[in-house]
Amino acid sequence: MFKNLRIKTSITPWTIWLGLMGLILLTGLVSGILVFWKGLVMTNLSDLVPWGLWITIDLSSIALGAGAFSLCAGVYLFGLKRYQPIARTATCIGLIGYTMATLALILDIGKPERFWHSVVYWNTHSLLWEVTMCVILYLTVLVFETMPIIANLEWLRKRLPKIAALMEGVHHYAPFLAILGLGLSSLHQSSLGATYGVIKARPFWFKPEMSVLFMFSAIVGGISLTLFATMLSSRLTKRAKINDVLIERVAHFVGYLLIGYFYFRAWDALATTYTYDPGRSEGLRLLTKGPFAFNFWIVEMLLGMIMPMILLLYKPTRMNPFWRMLSLMLVALGVVAFRWDTNIAGQLVLMPYLPGAAIAYTSYRPSLIEILTGAAIISYGLTAFSLGVKYLRVVDHTLVETAHETVHVNSTEPVTIS
Amino acid sequence: MSKQTIKRREFIKLTAVGLAVAAGTRAVTQTKASGDAPHGKRQWAMVIDQSKCTGCNYCTLACQAHNDVNPDIQWNKVLENGVVGDQQVYVPRPCMHCAKAPCVEVCPVKASYYREDGIVMMDYDRCIGCRYCQIACPYEARSFNWETFTGDNPAVPEWGTPEVDRRPRGVPEKCSFCYQRIDRGLSLGLTPGVDADATPACVVVCPTGARLFGDLNDPESSASTALRENASYRLRENLGTGPRVYYLPAVPEALRVEV
Repeated sequence: MFKNLRIKTSITPWTIWLGLMGLILLTGLVSGILVFWKGLVMTNLSDLVPWGLWITIDLSSIALGAGAFSLCAGVYLFGLKRYQPIARTATCIGLIGYTMATLALILDIGKPERFWHSVVYWNTHSLLWEVTMCVILYLTVLVFETMPIIANLEWLRKRLPKIAALMEGVHHYAPFLAILGLGLSSLHQSSLGATYGVIKARPFWFKPEMSVLFMFSAIVGGISLTLFATMLSSRLTKRAKINDVLIERVAHFVGYLLIGYFYFRAWDALATTYTYDPGRSEGLRLLTKGPFAFNFWIVEMLLGMIMPMILLLYKPTRMNPFWRMLSLMLVALGVVAFRWDTNIAGQLVLMPYLPGAAIAYTSYRPSLIEILTGAAIISYGLTAFSLGVKYLRVVDHTLVETAHETVHVNSTEPVTIS
Repeated sequence: MSKQTIKRREFIKLTAVGLAVAAGTRAVTQTKASGDAPHGKRQWAMVIDQSKCTGCNYCTLACQAHNDVNPDIQWNKVLENGVVGDQQVYVPRPCMHCAKAPCVEVCPVKASYYREDGIVMMDYDRCIGCRYCQIACPYEARSFNWETFTGDNPAVPEWGTPEVDRRPRGVPEKCSFCYQRIDRGLSLGLTPGVDADATPACVVVCPTGARLFGDLNDPESSASTALRENASYRLRENLGTGPRVYYLPAVPEALRVEV
């Protein structure tokens, strides 16, 4: 049975990559076991800052997985059929992102063995309940959406051709799955913002626009990451075959989206001072002058929005693969910085509950265990994606899908490789 | 009658409608259950007289013993809060048992819930340990069990004996108004707030009588009387959480009138 599995011992960039990822995964695994064994005392989380690095990874991987629903909606609902190959890649990144988020959450909750309680015991008032339900349902949708991609596995095609054909057939339902995905994603991407937005005890978060900001930044960041990952893999391996025209068009669109995102984020942050609520301006100060100043001004604003906005809207730089890739990567990083800044800054401002007491501040720095496990979650995502590119044709713009019989649309037109 | 066949599209539609109705019904009943503020016959409240509190911390110690609390955690914190006249003023802070409790609203699994008598309870067997309640609590009244509490409780037996189980690692815990004493006392025919055995441990132990406990629905209870006859305030009242812990602000000694 294993006679086909011959291990080549030659050192190639691919094996070095896998080795490196394996090492990070292994240290993360050991750290994770330590967390389950010793408990959350291994972290630097506290009663004042109970949500730290892991929650940020969770929020970020869900946000950067938003390319899946945005691009699938574009392709299957708004009729932009020619971008279907990019939506394929986005779907795969979505699945990886959401499993990353699940891993981070399992680490983060105090009673991981009770994770199923959120499905059984409903509190429909809780934003976190809604997010959990949507994420579980959407993860299911993503599994169905990626089935045609997994059917590309050579081994599966040879050994279980019937199952592979069945899995491939799921793509006939892609428009329905896209509708489900759009609905579920709109719900939980915005509810993740509302998770913070409804906390009246912390005025820095307590505002309705939190949900819109989370949703908008997720769409921008998710599409950017998809495009960046696509371009990067096409430079690293011949197995990734891309049609640069498609990527360039979507990148141009991201440039326009960034104008909206920049305007909204800047307005949201700077208009905080219009209505003084104790704790609100103090939170903003942490961003503009405090420990988050570099993150806020440089990573979020300059590198994450203004610079890529210019580079993607200015044709010569957009046509240049280097500048385009750099811009797209920076957009994704900027969204991660936004999640980190929002999550941590809101907790560092300690609202006084004693009459007349002044606002105090606390601090948080993730522990080594948190960083090692966090790095392992990220390297899991990278490994999964690189394996997908190598074995599942996740990035392959030459693949042409057959028509969708259920709705009689031709999902793809033949595309040319430049 | 013609032969009935259901097409796939219709079947999907019917299934979707069925699921939506089921989920909707469930959502409506659930909303009612958790959204309603408690409205039982008795409504417990605590009144803390800041003129009398000397910051001796006996309440905290009695609480640690009776509820078997980890010494790293305090359900009841005694905090300094300015000076009136030449007297240091203290704010003892238990759980506020809010009528509109943010922790109950945000809990994804309803591990935090209202009792009919207004006590905000924790179901430690249901909690998944997500700590959203800690994020939402305006009073920092919740403490997480970062590790298992093993070993001796230094407050036992000097300050009392444990009446409840220790909480497991991985869940947050908080003051429960000593619900176990209230429930047991009521079943023995005692009156909480009057009989020591039916009253929260912190109220019983207070050497200056700074804490009062009683039923707000009973106009003769000590809590109702104190609130009727004195000016009072609650913490972060502007948030609209409706705390059940009231404070009688400290009055300079010279102006104090003995009742």
